[in-house]
Amino acid sequence: MAVQSRIRNFSVIAHVDHGKTTLSDRILEVTGTVAKREMREQLLDSMDLERERGITIKARAVRMAWTARDGLLYELNLIDTPGHVDFNYEVSRSLAACEGALLLVDASQGIEAQTLANAYLAVEQGLEVVPVINKIDLPSIDLEVVRQDLYTTLGFTEEETLLASGKTGVGVAEILHAIVERVPPPHGDPAAPLRALIFDSHYDVYKGVVAHIRVMDGSLASGDRILLLATAKESDLAELGVFAPDAVRRDRLEAGEVGYAATGLKAVADCRVGDTLTLATRPAALPLPGYRPAKPMVFAGFYPTESEDYPLLKDALEKLRLNDASLVYEPETSQALGFGFRCGFLGLLHLEIVQERLEREYDVTLIATSPSVEYRVIVHGGREIALDNPAELPDPGTIEEIREPWMKVMIITPTTYVGPLMDLAQNKRGTLKDMTYVDPTRAMLTYEMPLGEVIVDFYDQLKSRSQGYASLDYELTEYRAADLVRLDILVAGTIVDALSIIIHRERTMSAGRVLTAKLRTLIPKQMFDVRIQAAVGNKVIASETVKAKRKDVIAKCYGGDITRKKKLLEKQKEGKKRMKMVGQVEIPQEAFLAVLRIKEDM
Amino acid sequence: MYVHIPFCAARCPYCDFATAPATTRLRARYLAALAAEIGREGAALGRPRARTLFVGGGTPSLLEPDEVDALAAALRGAFAFRPLEATVEANPATLDRARLGAWKRLGITRLSLGAQSLSAEGLQALGRTHQPGDVAPAVAAARSLGLAVAIDLIFGWPGQTAELWAADLAAAQALAPDHLSCYPLELETEREEADANWPGGGWPVVARWRARAAAAVPDEDAVASLYEQAERTLRRGGFRHYEIANWARPRRRSRHNLAYWRNDEWIGLGAGAHSHLGGFRSRNPAALTAYLARAEAGLGRLAAERVDEAVDGAILALRLDEGLALDRHAARFGRVAADRARRGLRSLDGTGLVRWSGETARLTPRGRLLATEVFLRLLPD
Repeated sequence: MAVQSRIRNFSVIAHVDHGKTTLSDRILEVTGTVAKREMREQLLDSMDLERERGITIKARAVRMAWTARDGLLYELNLIDTPGHVDFNYEVSRSLAACEGALLLVDASQGIEAQTLANAYLAVEQGLEVVPVINKIDLPSIDLEVVRQDLYTTLGFTEEETLLASGKTGVGVAEILHAIVERVPPPHGDPAAPLRALIFDSHYDVYKGVVAHIRVMDGSLASGDRILLLATAKESDLAELGVFAPDAVRRDRLEAGEVGYAATGLKAVADCRVGDTLTLATRPAALPLPGYRPAKPMVFAGFYPTESEDYPLLKDALEKLRLNDASLVYEPETSQALGFGFRCGFLGLLHLEIVQERLEREYDVTLIATSPSVEYRVIVHGGREIALDNPAELPDPGTIEEIREPWMKVMIITPTTYVGPLMDLAQNKRGTLKDMTYVDPTRAMLTYEMPLGEVIVDFYDQLKSRSQGYASLDYELTEYRAADLVRLDILVAGTIVDALSIIIHRERTMSAGRVLTAKLRTLIPKQMFDVRIQAAVGNKVIASETVKAKRKDVIAKCYGGDITRKKKLLEKQKEGKKRMKMVGQVEIPQEAFLAVLRIKEDM
Repeated sequence: MYVHIPFCAARCPYCDFATAPATTRLRARYLAALAAEIGREGAALGRPRARTLFVGGGTPSLLEPDEVDALAAALRGAFAFRPLEATVEANPATLDRARLGAWKRLGITRLSLGAQSLSAEGLQALGRTHQPGDVAPAVAAARSLGLAVAIDLIFGWPGQTAELWAADLAAAQALAPDHLSCYPLELETEREEADANWPGGGWPVVARWRARAAAAVPDEDAVASLYEQAERTLRRGGFRHYEIANWARPRRRSRHNLAYWRNDEWIGLGAGAHSHLGGFRSRNPAALTAYLARAEAGLGRLAAERVDEAVDGAILALRLDEGLALDRHAARFGRVAADRARRGLRSLDGTGLVRWSGETARLTPRGRLLATEVFLRLLPD
């Protein structure tokens, strides 16, 4: 067990694809933590999905030993951070567990928006940041431009900046030396009551909830009765240990150390990231700063494709939630899609990951409705209602004001694409707050923009308009009043709940037209004319008609072959069963989905 | 009784019946197996009387006179053969006096001509090999032998306009047929079982033809208009629209086909033929090799799965202008089945598809065009 002066805790800040995982693997190898032949590619990413997507979802910590230039043996803890904007809070907690951070920048790409945001976060939290230009083995790179990026954005000089290649291993030892020499050691109070920061937790089928912790003050021993300050849960500690990189049991963890604690709790929701773990017998007076309960930002309805799969979906969500405290959901019924769940996510990527895991790991095929945000509606009398489902919007006559979440959006882009991206941001109701140059070729744009606009297609558009070069970071700033209305779709005079959307008043005309026109092509002809209308309140703003079908007959019934005709009829009948009856009109499920998706075209 | 002769001089690209090339080396074996099947089935049923005969295809009219005589001998040997109506299908181009004479000897009373169109445009659009001028001589030949004449037309082919359809209808009426069938062109996209009978990769060509045709046919509304046009024109011409796709002069309905629609019993012999006997539906394979394998081994027909006689009966009855008489339906299939049919049909009240007179339901002209909507209500949930 090392004294605090011989411990260094650090994380790696990098953009997706900038080589964080490869470099981390190389560090494990150089420190002898993992023998080269045992290296699986991307060791730190333990979920299959992570390996496939090349991003890190769950933070993990690995303990390593390193002999520094002073000849002494140091204990290094590498704390991995999630690499996506949705997991900003998790990143901030991982950083809070460290005294230093490597800032990894791809030599061929330069600094990206999200990296910069995280680097600012690290600096704000008082971390010693060690800049590293990675992938220097790549041909035709301009180190000067990347150095200038680091200088203009964060003030790093050429002397401070290290050069490395995770691929070839060049510069890796130098990085480790720099960590020992530049990153300060932890300085917790070993005698104070225990305060350990939970920077990650996961559910293990054998051990229950396992918390990844950094002991800030005091110490912890196996068998201790623990208390979580935010959730006020108490439990007997089942096991204590470190990852090196496999789990190694330990009897104690002391101030400054990083490790894991099998808490004996049953749900990760009881063991939140950012919470303070202390001893029930001698609790700390104050929690560690910075805890924030997981707050979903993006919402969507999940419905099983086959309604009989509802219990399967319910079960899968329950299991998934064991391991994902930031996933929230509640049952929801849609006139159009039947029984399902309204789910809340940290962001769009989180949504996609959950959807993919449900389908892949739990074998549920589902329909996800178009994502929405949480609106705050002030009704007469001042009462505030939070809602994310347009169907829940109260009578417009009772509404004083509707507020929507606004984001601060930071974009870094090659200057060539500034024009198109400004157009895009403008279309998304963005207000330009600031524009600076990180180097002569790249600009940084800061916008304020409604989240409702960001989640619909903004990221894809950003990428396509910049040919993939622009990068994005955003964070919630505030709720602002907006001129929002509910746009209803009426089919044959009946409002179809699943098709209602909350939208800015200026957009209602074009949205109404797009939606009704699209629906006209999607609703099959019925036995009578079907009117499709878009309306705000009682005012119809767009209208289309699906003309009645005139012919649907199998005329040839020849040689008495009725069996084949019957098969066709039965097939058609099955098709009808999958349609939803809205009044007298049969609407295929595909119509709902396509309409939910075309929000992107408006 | 239905007898199937699959052979055709050429393959019509829209046709999905059990067909085979006239020149196939399996022809003699097929006719022998068919004769054997006729003998076996006749014996098994105790040499019953066949009230109607329909020889369909394929193109039965291209059989050589001696082949027809052999078929006649088989039929007379196995059945009490005094039909009230005996029809043979003919291609206008393959009919000659010698062949017609042989069919007459067999006992034919009625000739069904697959004209499909009487215009060069129509025949070309449908990929037919006969000429418009072939039809009139065929009709005259049939008349000279005292045969009743039925003509088949197809409408809704690529490029067909209301004027071209009017011309076809007028030309057909000018031939004074006893019976007219008008089928909208239906293009099956799935490979039919009988495709195996056509050697040399026929299917891709057929599939491509059908895809191209499907892209070029008049739209559904236009086809509906063509149908209504036929209805109007033929009503004025003195024809009774007695089934969804069939029109007849008074007392000239096809007795044989009425047996299908009235859900009576019949036996179908030969490749791809369907039977309905003793409340069971069954069929023979449409591929010649499969048919031969079964027939030569003395195996019976393939039973149809999941048959609901009451539902089939109701659907078939509604195809006819006589309609579905629920009291009779109840007598035949029970009160529960009749009530179910009534509920299904009553759910269409207000749509103008079904007309009631007492306990009898009939399709309206609109109901005929949307018959699928009606039939769907008759299927069990």
